[in-house]
Amino acid sequence: MPATSGPILNGRFRAKLFDWSVTALLLLGGILMMMPFVWMFSTSWRQAKDSFSLPPQWLPTAWRIENYQEVLNGIPFVEFVLNSLKVSTLITLGQLVTCSMAAYAFARLRFPGRDLLFLIFLSQLMVPQQVTIIPVFILIRVLGLLDTHWALIIPALFSAFGTFLLRQFFLTIPYELEDAARVDGAGYVRTFLQIILPLAGPGLSTLAIFVFNFYWNEFFRPLLFISTWEKMTLPLGLTVMRGYLGVGNVAAIMAGVSMGILPVLVVFLVAQRYLIEGITLTGIKG
Amino acid sequence: MSPRRLRETFVAYGFLAPVIAGFLIFVLGPAVAAIGLSFFNYDVLTPPRFAGWANYLRFFRDPRLPLIYWNTVVYVFWYVVLTTVVGLALAVAANRAMHAVWRYLVRTTYFFPVLTSLASVSLVWQYLYSTDFGIINYYLGKFGVQRIPWLTSSQWAIISIIVLGVWKNVGFNFILFVAGLHNIPRHLYEAAEIDGAGRWASFRYITVPSLTPVVFFVIVWGLINGFQVFDSPFILTTGGPGDASRTVVMYIYESGFRFFQMGYASTVALSLFIIVVILTLIQFRLSRIWVFYQ
Repeated sequence: MPATSGPILNGRFRAKLFDWSVTALLLLGGILMMMPFVWMFSTSWRQAKDSFSLPPQWLPTAWRIENYQEVLNGIPFVEFVLNSLKVSTLITLGQLVTCSMAAYAFARLRFPGRDLLFLIFLSQLMVPQQVTIIPVFILIRVLGLLDTHWALIIPALFSAFGTFLLRQFFLTIPYELEDAARVDGAGYVRTFLQIILPLAGPGLSTLAIFVFNFYWNEFFRPLLFISTWEKMTLPLGLTVMRGYLGVGNVAAIMAGVSMGILPVLVVFLVAQRYLIEGITLTGIKG
Repeated sequence: MSPRRLRETFVAYGFLAPVIAGFLIFVLGPAVAAIGLSFFNYDVLTPPRFAGWANYLRFFRDPRLPLIYWNTVVYVFWYVVLTTVVGLALAVAANRAMHAVWRYLVRTTYFFPVLTSLASVSLVWQYLYSTDFGIINYYLGKFGVQRIPWLTSSQWAIISIIVLGVWKNVGFNFILFVAGLHNIPRHLYEAAEIDGAGRWASFRYITVPSLTPVVFFVIVWGLINGFQVFDSPFILTTGGPGDASRTVVMYIYESGFRFFQMGYASTVALSLFIIVVILTLIQFRLSRIWVFYQ
Protein backbone atom coordinates (compact mmCIF):
# COMPACT_ATOMS: atom_id res chain seq x y z
CA MET A 1 0.00 0.00 0.00
CA PRO A 2 1.48 3.37 -0.96
CA ALA A 3 2.44 5.37 2.09
CA THR A 4 0.56 8.48 0.92
CA SER A 5 -2.89 6.87 1.14
CA GLY A 6 -2.35 6.03 4.79
CA PRO A 7 -3.58 9.25 6.43
CA ILE A 8 -6.61 9.49 4.12
CA LEU A 9 -7.71 5.97 4.89
CA ASN A 10 -7.05 6.59 8.53
CA GLY A 11 -9.13 9.74 8.45
CA ARG A 12 -12.03 8.01 6.80
CA PHE A 13 -11.73 5.08 9.16
CA ARG A 14 -11.67 7.41 12.11
CA ALA A 15 -14.83 9.17 10.93
CA LYS A 16 -16.52 5.80 10.51
CA LEU A 17 -15.37 4.68 13.92
CA PHE A 18 -16.74 7.88 15.40
CA ASP A 19 -20.13 7.28 13.73
CA TRP A 20 -20.20 3.72 15.04
CA SER A 21 -19.31 4.76 18.58
CA VAL A 22 -22.01 7.42 18.63
CA THR A 23 -24.55 4.93 17.31
CA ALA A 24 -23.51 2.41 19.93
CA LEU A 25 -23.84 5.03 22.68
CA LEU A 26 -27.28 6.01 21.41
CA LEU A 27 -28.39 2.38 21.44
CA LEU A 28 -27.01 1.97 24.95
CA GLY A 29 -28.99 5.03 26.03
CA GLY A 30 -32.03 3.54 24.33
CA ILE A 31 -31.64 0.38 26.37
CA LEU A 32 -31.45 2.51 29.52
CA MET A 33 -34.65 4.29 28.47
CA MET A 34 -36.44 0.96 28.22
CA MET A 35 -35.13 -0.41 31.54
CA PRO A 36 -38.16 0.69 33.57
CA PHE A 37 -40.46 -1.18 31.20
CA VAL A 38 -38.27 -4.27 31.23
CA TRP A 39 -38.21 -4.23 35.02
CA MET A 40 -41.98 -3.70 35.12
CA PHE A 41 -42.64 -6.61 32.80
CA SER A 42 -40.23 -9.06 34.37
CA THR A 43 -41.40 -8.18 37.88
CA SER A 44 -44.96 -8.96 36.84
CA TRP A 45 -43.77 -12.53 36.24
CA ARG A 46 -42.38 -13.20 39.67
CA GLN A 47 -43.31 -14.49 43.07
CA ALA A 48 -44.41 -11.51 45.12
CA LYS A 49 -41.66 -12.24 47.63
CA ASP A 50 -38.99 -11.97 44.91
CA SER A 51 -40.08 -8.52 43.75
CA PHE A 52 -37.32 -6.77 45.58
CA SER A 53 -34.58 -9.35 45.23
CA LEU A 54 -31.17 -7.87 44.63
CA PRO A 55 -29.19 -8.10 42.44
CA PRO A 56 -32.10 -7.35 40.09
CA GLN A 57 -33.37 -10.05 37.80
CA TRP A 58 -33.94 -8.83 34.27
CA LEU A 59 -35.88 -11.84 33.12
CA PRO A 60 -39.09 -13.29 34.48
CA THR A 61 -38.26 -15.79 37.21
CA ALA A 62 -41.56 -17.62 37.46
CA TRP A 63 -44.23 -17.65 34.81
CA ARG A 64 -46.82 -16.72 37.37
CA ILE A 65 -50.04 -16.05 35.52
CA GLU A 66 -51.54 -15.70 39.00
CA ASN A 67 -50.31 -12.10 39.20
CA TYR A 68 -52.37 -11.27 36.15
CA GLN A 69 -55.33 -13.27 37.42
CA GLU A 70 -55.17 -11.38 40.68
CA VAL A 71 -55.51 -8.11 38.81
CA LEU A 72 -58.29 -9.37 36.56
CA ASN A 73 -60.26 -10.98 39.40
CA GLY A 74 -59.35 -8.80 42.36
CA ILE A 75 -60.19 -5.44 40.84
CA PRO A 76 -62.56 -4.36 38.04
CA PHE A 77 -59.66 -4.19 35.60
CA VAL A 78 -61.72 -5.12 32.55
CA GLU A 79 -64.15 -2.34 33.43
CA PHE A 80 -61.25 0.15 33.64
CA VAL A 81 -60.17 -0.82 30.14
CA LEU A 82 -63.69 -0.61 28.77
CA ASN A 83 -64.25 2.76 30.47
CA SER A 84 -61.03 4.15 29.07
CA LEU A 85 -61.92 2.78 25.68
CA LYS A 86 -65.37 4.34 25.78
CA VAL A 87 -64.23 7.74 27.02
CA SER A 88 -61.22 7.98 24.69
CA THR A 89 -63.15 6.80 21.63
CA LEU A 90 -66.06 9.18 22.07
CA ILE A 91 -63.76 12.14 22.73
CA THR A 92 -61.68 11.25 19.68
CA LEU A 93 -64.72 11.01 17.41
CA GLY A 94 -66.08 14.28 18.79
CA GLN A 95 -62.83 16.14 18.30
CA LEU A 96 -62.42 14.80 14.77
CA VAL A 97 -65.78 16.32 13.90
CA THR A 98 -65.52 19.65 15.72
CA CYS A 99 -61.85 20.30 15.02
CA SER A 100 -61.98 19.41 11.34
CA MET A 101 -64.95 21.75 10.86
CA ALA A 102 -63.20 24.62 12.63
CA ALA A 103 -59.92 23.89 10.89
CA TYR A 104 -61.66 24.03 7.51
CA ALA A 105 -63.04 27.47 8.33
CA PHE A 106 -59.67 28.74 9.55
CA ALA A 107 -57.65 27.24 6.70
CA ARG A 108 -59.95 27.64 3.72
CA LEU A 109 -62.62 30.28 4.24
CA ARG A 110 -62.24 34.04 4.30
CA PHE A 111 -64.30 35.96 6.79
CA PRO A 112 -63.93 39.06 8.95
CA GLY A 113 -62.19 38.43 12.26
CA ARG A 114 -60.57 35.21 11.14
CA ASP A 115 -57.02 35.93 12.21
CA LEU A 116 -57.99 37.51 15.51
CA LEU A 117 -60.31 34.63 16.29
CA PHE A 118 -57.56 32.16 15.46
CA LEU A 119 -55.16 33.97 17.78
CA ILE A 120 -57.70 33.93 20.61
CA PHE A 121 -58.15 30.28 19.93
CA LEU A 122 -54.49 29.52 20.15
CA SER A 123 -54.11 31.53 23.34
CA GLN A 124 -56.25 28.85 25.00
CA LEU A 125 -53.16 26.70 24.95
CA MET A 126 -51.68 28.98 27.60
CA VAL A 127 -54.58 28.52 30.00
CA PRO A 128 -53.64 25.83 32.49
CA GLN A 129 -56.44 23.32 32.92
CA GLN A 130 -56.41 24.02 36.65
CA VAL A 131 -57.72 27.55 36.12
CA THR A 132 -60.93 26.35 34.53
CA ILE A 133 -61.29 23.04 36.34
CA ILE A 134 -63.03 24.38 39.46
CA PRO A 135 -65.85 26.18 37.61
CA VAL A 136 -66.11 23.22 35.24
CA PHE A 137 -66.39 20.95 38.27
CA ILE A 138 -69.17 23.12 39.66
CA LEU A 139 -70.93 23.13 36.29
CA ILE A 140 -70.68 19.35 35.98
CA ARG A 141 -72.02 19.00 39.50
CA VAL A 142 -74.97 21.31 38.81
CA LEU A 143 -75.77 19.31 35.68
CA GLY A 144 -75.76 16.17 37.81
CA LEU A 145 -72.99 14.59 35.74
CA LEU A 146 -70.45 14.03 38.52
CA ASP A 147 -69.23 10.46 38.63
CA THR A 148 -70.41 9.78 35.09
CA HIS A 149 -68.30 9.36 31.99
CA TRP A 150 -70.06 12.34 30.43
CA ALA A 151 -68.20 14.56 32.91
CA LEU A 152 -65.00 13.47 31.19
CA ILE A 153 -66.33 13.39 27.64
CA ILE A 154 -68.40 16.53 27.11
CA PRO A 155 -65.83 19.19 28.11
CA ALA A 156 -63.20 17.42 25.98
CA LEU A 157 -65.12 17.36 22.72
CA PHE A 158 -63.44 20.59 21.55
CA SER A 159 -59.80 21.43 21.39
CA ALA A 160 -57.59 24.29 20.30
CA PHE A 161 -54.71 21.91 19.76
CA GLY A 162 -56.73 19.69 17.42
CA THR A 163 -58.02 22.68 15.47
CA PHE A 164 -54.49 23.98 15.10
CA LEU A 165 -53.07 20.62 14.02
CA LEU A 166 -55.74 20.03 11.37
CA ARG A 167 -55.48 23.59 10.11
CA GLN A 168 -51.79 22.98 9.49
CA PHE A 169 -52.67 19.85 7.53
CA PHE A 170 -55.45 21.53 5.55
CA LEU A 171 -53.12 24.36 4.55
CA THR A 172 -50.94 21.83 2.72
CA ILE A 173 -53.81 20.64 0.49
CA PRO A 174 -53.60 22.27 -2.94
CA TYR A 175 -56.35 24.70 -3.87
CA GLU A 176 -56.78 23.45 -7.44
CA LEU A 177 -59.07 20.56 -6.52
CA GLU A 178 -61.24 22.81 -4.44
CA ASP A 179 -61.50 25.37 -7.24
CA ALA A 180 -62.46 22.64 -9.68
CA ALA A 181 -65.19 21.45 -7.35
CA ARG A 182 -66.37 25.04 -6.93
CA VAL A 183 -66.62 25.41 -10.72
CA ASP A 184 -68.70 22.25 -10.78
CA GLY A 185 -71.09 23.99 -8.41
CA ALA A 186 -70.17 22.23 -5.16
CA GLY A 187 -71.05 24.22 -2.02
CA TYR A 188 -68.82 24.66 1.04
CA VAL A 189 -70.24 21.67 2.85
CA ARG A 190 -69.77 19.37 -0.11
CA THR A 191 -66.26 20.67 -0.73
CA PHE A 192 -65.42 20.01 2.91
CA LEU A 193 -66.89 16.52 2.97
CA GLN A 194 -65.85 15.31 -0.48
CA ILE A 195 -62.59 17.14 -1.20
CA ILE A 196 -60.88 18.24 2.01
CA LEU A 197 -61.69 15.40 4.41
CA PRO A 198 -60.67 12.55 2.07
CA LEU A 199 -57.37 14.30 1.34
CA ALA A 200 -56.74 14.98 5.03
CA GLY A 201 -56.69 11.30 5.95
CA PRO A 202 -53.17 11.36 7.42
CA GLY A 203 -53.97 14.51 9.40
CA LEU A 204 -57.14 13.03 10.81
CA SER A 205 -55.33 9.81 11.72
CA THR A 206 -52.60 11.76 13.45
CA LEU A 207 -55.08 13.78 15.49
CA ALA A 208 -57.07 10.65 16.31
CA ILE A 209 -53.98 8.89 17.68
CA PHE A 210 -52.90 11.93 19.68
CA VAL A 211 -56.29 12.51 21.21
CA PHE A 212 -56.93 8.87 21.93
CA ASN A 213 -53.55 8.45 23.56
CA PHE A 214 -53.95 11.64 25.61
CA TYR A 215 -57.31 10.65 27.07
CA TRP A 216 -56.31 7.02 27.48
CA ASN A 217 -53.53 8.29 29.77
CA GLU A 218 -55.44 11.09 31.47
CA PHE A 219 -55.30 11.14 35.24
CA PHE A 220 -56.18 14.56 36.64
CA ARG A 221 -59.78 14.96 35.52
CA PRO A 222 -60.81 11.35 36.27
CA LEU A 223 -59.36 11.83 39.75
CA LEU A 224 -61.67 14.80 40.29
CA PHE A 225 -64.79 13.64 38.50
CA ILE A 226 -64.99 9.88 39.04
CA SER A 227 -65.38 8.36 42.47
CA THR A 228 -66.97 4.97 41.81
CA TRP A 229 -64.47 2.14 41.43
CA GLU A 230 -66.32 0.54 38.49
CA LYS A 231 -66.46 3.81 36.55
CA MET A 232 -62.78 4.65 36.79
CA THR A 233 -60.54 4.88 33.77
CA LEU A 234 -57.31 2.90 33.57
CA PRO A 235 -54.59 5.18 35.05
CA LEU A 236 -56.84 6.19 37.94
CA GLY A 237 -57.96 2.62 38.52
CA LEU A 238 -54.37 1.37 38.56
CA THR A 239 -53.37 4.04 41.06
CA VAL A 240 -56.25 3.20 43.34
CA MET A 241 -55.43 -0.47 42.90
CA ARG A 242 -52.04 0.17 44.45
CA GLY A 243 -53.74 0.96 47.72
CA TYR A 244 -56.21 -1.86 47.35
CA LEU A 245 -53.80 -4.69 46.60
CA GLY A 246 -51.32 -3.34 49.11
CA VAL A 247 -48.13 -1.52 48.23
CA GLY A 248 -46.21 -4.71 48.99
CA ASN A 249 -47.75 -6.71 46.17
CA VAL A 250 -45.52 -5.26 43.52
CA ALA A 251 -45.85 -8.22 41.16
CA ALA A 252 -49.59 -7.78 40.79
CA ILE A 253 -49.32 -4.01 40.44
CA MET A 254 -46.74 -4.42 37.68
CA ALA A 255 -49.01 -6.95 36.00
CA GLY A 256 -51.75 -4.32 35.98
CA VAL A 257 -49.48 -1.57 34.67
CA SER A 258 -48.11 -3.93 32.01
CA MET A 259 -51.59 -4.68 30.76
CA GLY A 260 -52.33 -0.96 30.70
CA ILE A 261 -49.23 -0.18 28.65
CA LEU A 262 -49.65 -3.04 26.19
CA PRO A 263 -52.33 -1.31 24.07
CA VAL A 264 -50.15 1.80 23.93
CA LEU A 265 -47.26 -0.28 22.65
CA VAL A 266 -49.44 -1.83 19.95
CA VAL A 267 -50.80 1.54 18.82
CA PHE A 268 -47.27 2.92 18.82
CA LEU A 269 -45.82 0.18 16.65
CA VAL A 270 -48.69 0.43 14.20
CA ALA A 271 -48.97 4.19 14.02
CA GLN A 272 -45.48 5.51 14.67
CA ARG A 273 -45.34 7.23 11.30
CA TYR A 274 -48.46 9.32 11.93
CA LEU A 275 -47.35 10.30 15.39
CA ILE A 276 -43.98 11.51 14.26
CA GLU A 277 -45.48 13.33 11.31
CA GLY A 278 -47.98 15.05 13.57
CA ILE A 279 -45.39 16.15 16.10
CA THR A 280 -43.26 17.47 13.30
CA LEU A 281 -46.08 19.42 11.77
CA THR A 282 -47.10 21.13 15.01
CA GLY A 283 -43.57 21.97 16.08
CA ILE A 284 -41.73 22.76 12.88
CA LYS A 285 -44.20 24.34 10.56
CA GLY A 286 -46.15 26.04 13.34
CA MET B 1 -70.00 42.98 1.84
CA SER B 2 -70.86 41.19 -1.35
CA PRO B 3 -73.49 38.45 -1.10
CA ARG B 4 -70.77 35.90 -1.78
CA ARG B 5 -68.56 37.17 1.03
CA LEU B 6 -71.55 37.36 3.34
CA ARG B 7 -72.42 33.79 2.56
CA GLU B 8 -68.85 32.65 3.11
CA THR B 9 -68.75 34.42 6.48
CA PHE B 10 -72.03 32.83 7.45
CA VAL B 11 -70.79 29.37 6.48
CA ALA B 12 -67.47 29.91 8.27
CA TYR B 13 -69.14 30.76 11.56
CA GLY B 14 -71.40 27.77 11.08
CA PHE B 15 -68.36 25.53 10.82
CA LEU B 16 -66.81 27.23 13.83
CA ALA B 17 -69.96 27.10 15.96
CA PRO B 18 -69.18 23.87 17.86
CA VAL B 19 -65.67 24.87 18.92
CA ILE B 20 -66.75 28.43 19.72
CA ALA B 21 -69.53 27.05 21.90
CA GLY B 22 -67.07 24.70 23.58
CA PHE B 23 -64.61 27.54 24.07
CA LEU B 24 -67.24 29.77 25.68
CA ILE B 25 -68.73 27.08 27.91
CA PHE B 26 -65.62 25.19 28.98
CA VAL B 27 -62.76 27.70 28.73
CA LEU B 28 -63.71 31.37 28.64
CA GLY B 29 -66.78 31.07 30.87
CA PRO B 30 -64.98 29.03 33.53
CA ALA B 31 -61.92 31.31 33.36
CA VAL B 32 -64.11 34.34 34.07
CA ALA B 33 -66.00 32.36 36.72
CA ALA B 34 -62.67 31.50 38.35
CA ILE B 35 -61.92 35.21 38.68
CA GLY B 36 -65.31 35.73 40.28
CA LEU B 37 -64.93 32.71 42.51
CA SER B 38 -61.62 34.01 43.85
CA PHE B 39 -63.61 36.74 45.64
CA PHE B 40 -65.84 34.22 47.40
CA ASN B 41 -65.56 31.49 49.97
CA TYR B 42 -67.22 28.42 48.57
CA ASP B 43 -67.17 24.90 50.00
CA VAL B 44 -69.55 23.36 47.40
CA LEU B 45 -72.15 22.37 50.02
CA THR B 46 -73.22 25.77 51.33
CA PRO B 47 -73.88 28.80 49.10
CA PRO B 48 -70.84 31.00 48.27
CA ARG B 49 -70.12 33.85 50.68
CA PHE B 50 -68.53 37.05 49.43
CA ALA B 51 -65.02 37.36 50.80
CA GLY B 52 -63.68 40.52 49.19
CA TRP B 53 -59.90 40.41 48.94
CA ALA B 54 -59.56 37.83 51.70
CA ASN B 55 -58.36 35.06 49.39
CA TYR B 56 -55.78 37.37 47.85
CA LEU B 57 -54.53 38.51 51.26
CA ARG B 58 -54.26 34.90 52.26
CA PHE B 59 -52.42 34.14 49.01
CA PHE B 60 -49.73 36.71 49.72
CA ARG B 61 -49.39 35.64 53.36
CA ASP B 62 -49.63 31.90 52.85
CA PRO B 63 -46.47 30.57 54.52
CA ARG B 64 -46.52 27.39 52.44
CA LEU B 65 -46.73 29.01 49.03
CA PRO B 66 -43.16 30.30 48.63
CA LEU B 67 -41.75 26.79 48.96
CA ILE B 68 -44.46 25.29 46.76
CA TYR B 69 -43.85 27.86 44.04
CA TRP B 70 -40.11 27.41 44.41
CA ASN B 71 -40.46 23.63 43.90
CA THR B 72 -42.54 24.21 40.80
CA VAL B 73 -40.10 26.74 39.36
CA VAL B 74 -37.15 24.42 40.06
CA TYR B 75 -39.01 21.61 38.36
CA VAL B 76 -39.95 23.70 35.32
CA PHE B 77 -36.46 25.13 34.97
CA TRP B 78 -34.67 21.80 34.98
CA TYR B 79 -37.40 20.05 33.06
CA VAL B 80 -37.22 22.61 30.25
CA VAL B 81 -33.42 22.88 30.23
CA LEU B 82 -32.80 19.13 30.32
CA THR B 83 -35.48 18.06 27.85
CA THR B 84 -34.22 20.75 25.45
CA VAL B 85 -30.47 20.17 25.81
CA VAL B 86 -30.63 16.38 25.98
CA GLY B 87 -33.23 16.23 23.21
CA LEU B 88 -31.04 18.37 20.98
CA ALA B 89 -27.88 16.41 21.81
CA LEU B 90 -29.63 13.13 21.02
CA ALA B 91 -30.95 14.47 17.73
CA VAL B 92 -27.54 15.75 16.65
CA ALA B 93 -26.00 12.41 17.64
CA ALA B 94 -28.65 10.45 15.74
CA ASN B 95 -28.34 12.65 12.65
CA ARG B 96 -25.67 10.55 10.93
CA ALA B 97 -25.28 7.57 8.65
CA MET B 98 -26.82 4.64 10.48
CA HIS B 99 -28.31 1.29 9.56
CA ALA B 100 -32.11 1.54 9.23
CA VAL B 101 -32.59 -0.99 12.03
CA TRP B 102 -30.52 1.03 14.49
CA ARG B 103 -32.29 4.21 13.43
CA TYR B 104 -35.66 2.59 14.09
CA LEU B 105 -34.54 1.24 17.46
CA VAL B 106 -33.10 4.56 18.59
CA ARG B 107 -36.21 6.48 17.60
CA THR B 108 -38.52 3.90 19.18
CA THR B 109 -36.74 3.51 22.50
CA TYR B 110 -36.45 7.22 23.21
CA PHE B 111 -39.94 8.05 22.04
CA PHE B 112 -41.98 5.26 23.58
CA PRO B 113 -42.16 6.70 27.15
CA VAL B 114 -43.83 9.83 25.70
CA LEU B 115 -46.90 7.77 24.88
CA THR B 116 -47.31 6.10 28.23
CA SER B 117 -49.37 7.48 31.07
CA LEU B 118 -47.37 9.53 33.56
CA ALA B 119 -49.53 8.13 36.35
CA SER B 120 -48.81 4.53 35.36
CA VAL B 121 -45.08 4.95 34.89
CA SER B 122 -44.94 6.80 38.21
CA LEU B 123 -46.22 3.59 39.80
CA VAL B 124 -43.25 1.78 38.26
CA TRP B 125 -40.67 4.43 39.12
CA GLN B 126 -41.82 4.47 42.70
CA TYR B 127 -40.22 1.05 43.09
CA LEU B 128 -37.18 1.90 40.99
CA TYR B 129 -36.54 4.78 43.38
CA SER B 130 -36.82 2.68 46.53
CA THR B 131 -33.88 3.51 48.80
CA ASP B 132 -33.05 0.01 49.99
CA PHE B 133 -34.50 -2.23 47.27
CA GLY B 134 -34.60 -0.01 44.19
CA ILE B 135 -32.54 -0.94 41.18
CA ILE B 136 -31.38 2.65 40.67
CA ASN B 137 -29.56 2.70 43.99
CA TYR B 138 -28.32 -0.83 43.38
CA TYR B 139 -26.57 0.08 40.14
CA LEU B 140 -25.37 3.43 41.47
CA GLY B 141 -23.90 1.44 44.34
CA LYS B 142 -21.80 -0.47 41.80
CA PHE B 143 -20.13 2.84 41.04
CA GLY B 144 -19.58 3.51 44.70
CA VAL B 145 -22.49 5.92 45.14
CA GLN B 146 -24.07 5.89 48.58
CA ARG B 147 -27.76 4.95 48.74
CA ILE B 148 -29.81 7.99 47.79
CA PRO B 149 -33.11 8.54 49.62
CA TRP B 150 -34.79 9.52 46.34
CA LEU B 151 -38.34 9.93 47.54
CA THR B 152 -37.92 10.39 51.25
CA SER B 153 -35.47 13.27 51.59
CA SER B 154 -36.51 16.85 51.02
CA GLN B 155 -33.34 17.41 49.04
CA TRP B 156 -33.89 14.59 46.54
CA ALA B 157 -37.68 14.39 46.18
CA ILE B 158 -38.00 17.14 43.59
CA ILE B 159 -34.94 15.81 41.74
CA SER B 160 -36.65 12.42 41.44
CA ILE B 161 -39.67 14.09 39.90
CA ILE B 162 -37.48 16.02 37.46
CA VAL B 163 -35.62 12.86 36.40
CA LEU B 164 -38.90 11.05 35.77
CA GLY B 165 -40.28 14.01 33.81
CA VAL B 166 -37.18 14.24 31.63
CA TRP B 167 -37.10 10.49 31.01
CA LYS B 168 -40.75 10.51 30.03
CA ASN B 169 -40.75 13.48 27.67
CA VAL B 170 -37.26 13.92 26.25
CA GLY B 171 -38.26 11.72 23.31
CA PHE B 172 -40.84 14.27 22.22
CA ASN B 173 -38.19 16.97 21.80
CA PHE B 174 -35.81 14.44 20.28
CA ILE B 175 -38.28 13.72 17.47
CA LEU B 176 -38.88 17.43 16.94
CA PHE B 177 -35.18 18.18 16.69
CA VAL B 178 -34.60 15.26 14.34
CA ALA B 179 -37.27 16.67 12.06
CA GLY B 180 -35.76 20.14 12.41
CA LEU B 181 -32.33 18.86 11.41
CA HIS B 182 -33.87 17.04 8.50
CA ASN B 183 -35.39 20.28 7.25
CA ILE B 184 -32.08 22.13 7.01
CA PRO B 185 -31.20 22.38 3.29
CA ARG B 186 -28.19 20.24 2.34
CA HIS B 187 -26.71 22.95 0.14
CA LEU B 188 -25.98 25.18 3.15
CA TYR B 189 -23.55 22.59 4.51
CA GLU B 190 -22.05 21.99 1.08
CA ALA B 191 -21.46 25.69 0.61
CA ALA B 192 -19.87 25.92 4.05
CA GLU B 193 -17.59 23.01 3.28
CA ILE B 194 -16.44 24.66 0.07
CA ASP B 195 -15.71 27.78 2.09
CA GLY B 196 -13.51 25.64 4.31
CA ALA B 197 -15.74 25.56 7.39
CA GLY B 198 -15.07 22.71 9.82
CA ARG B 199 -17.58 20.53 11.63
CA TRP B 200 -17.88 22.88 14.57
CA ALA B 201 -18.28 26.02 12.44
CA SER B 202 -21.02 24.35 10.39
CA PHE B 203 -22.78 23.35 13.58
CA ARG B 204 -22.45 26.78 15.15
CA TYR B 205 -23.39 28.87 12.11
CA ILE B 206 -25.82 26.62 10.22
CA THR B 207 -27.31 23.98 12.50
CA VAL B 208 -27.88 26.12 15.59
CA PRO B 209 -29.56 29.10 13.87
CA SER B 210 -31.71 26.80 11.73
CA LEU B 211 -32.96 25.02 14.82
CA THR B 212 -33.84 28.11 16.85
CA PRO B 213 -37.54 28.01 15.86
CA VAL B 214 -37.77 24.44 17.14
CA VAL B 215 -35.92 25.36 20.32
CA PHE B 216 -38.38 28.19 20.82
CA PHE B 217 -41.39 25.92 20.37
CA VAL B 218 -39.90 23.32 22.69
CA ILE B 219 -39.22 25.87 25.43
CA VAL B 220 -42.66 27.48 25.29
CA TRP B 221 -44.40 24.09 25.20
CA GLY B 222 -42.20 22.82 28.05
CA LEU B 223 -42.94 25.88 30.19
CA ILE B 224 -46.70 25.61 29.74
CA ASN B 225 -46.74 21.88 30.47
CA GLY B 226 -44.08 21.94 33.16
CA PHE B 227 -46.04 24.33 35.35
CA GLN B 228 -48.94 21.89 35.35
CA VAL B 229 -46.97 18.98 36.79
CA PHE B 230 -49.22 16.94 39.05
CA ASP B 231 -49.41 13.19 38.41
CA SER B 232 -45.79 12.34 39.21
CA PRO B 233 -45.45 14.13 42.58
CA PHE B 234 -48.99 13.07 43.50
CA ILE B 235 -48.10 9.40 43.06
CA LEU B 236 -44.38 9.33 43.87
CA THR B 237 -44.13 11.53 46.94
CA THR B 238 -47.62 12.93 47.61
CA GLY B 239 -45.81 16.24 47.86
CA GLY B 240 -43.54 15.20 50.68
CA PRO B 241 -41.58 15.01 52.75
CA GLY B 242 -43.42 17.99 54.24
CA ASP B 243 -43.95 20.27 51.27
CA ALA B 244 -40.58 19.47 49.73
CA SER B 245 -42.00 18.24 46.43
CA ARG B 246 -45.47 19.79 46.50
CA THR B 247 -46.25 21.63 43.28
CA VAL B 248 -48.69 24.47 42.66
CA VAL B 249 -51.20 22.24 40.93
CA MET B 250 -51.09 19.77 43.81
CA TYR B 251 -51.78 22.66 46.17
CA ILE B 252 -54.70 23.80 44.00
CA TYR B 253 -56.05 20.26 44.02
CA GLU B 254 -55.73 19.93 47.77
CA SER B 255 -57.20 23.35 48.58
CA GLY B 256 -60.09 22.89 46.19
CA PHE B 257 -60.95 19.23 46.32
CA ARG B 258 -59.68 18.01 49.64
CA PHE B 259 -60.39 21.01 51.86
CA PHE B 260 -63.15 22.36 49.60
CA GLN B 261 -61.83 25.91 49.60
CA MET B 262 -62.87 26.52 46.02
CA GLY B 263 -62.39 30.28 46.28
CA TYR B 264 -58.85 30.09 47.53
CA ALA B 265 -58.00 27.33 45.07
CA SER B 266 -59.21 29.62 42.28
CA THR B 267 -56.97 32.41 43.53
CA VAL B 268 -53.92 30.14 43.43
CA ALA B 269 -54.94 28.81 40.01
CA LEU B 270 -55.20 32.35 38.67
CA SER B 271 -51.73 33.16 39.96
CA LEU B 272 -50.44 30.17 38.02
CA PHE B 273 -52.23 31.35 34.92
CA ILE B 274 -50.78 34.85 35.20
CA ILE B 275 -47.27 33.49 35.65
CA VAL B 276 -47.58 31.16 32.67
CA VAL B 277 -48.91 33.97 30.47
CA ILE B 278 -46.18 36.40 31.54
CA LEU B 279 -43.43 33.85 30.95
CA THR B 280 -44.88 32.90 27.57
CA LEU B 281 -45.11 36.52 26.48
CA ILE B 282 -41.54 37.13 27.64
CA GLN B 283 -40.49 34.17 25.56
CA PHE B 284 -42.24 35.58 22.51
CA ARG B 285 -40.63 38.97 23.07
CA LEU B 286 -37.17 37.47 23.55
CA SER B 287 -37.64 35.27 20.52
CA ARG B 288 -37.30 38.33 18.30
CA ILE B 289 -33.69 38.54 19.40
CA TRP B 290 -32.56 34.96 19.13
CA VAL B 291 -34.96 33.01 16.96
CA PHE B 292 -33.92 32.91 13.34
CA TYR B 293 -36.65 32.37 10.76
CA GLN B 294 -35.54 31.49 7.26
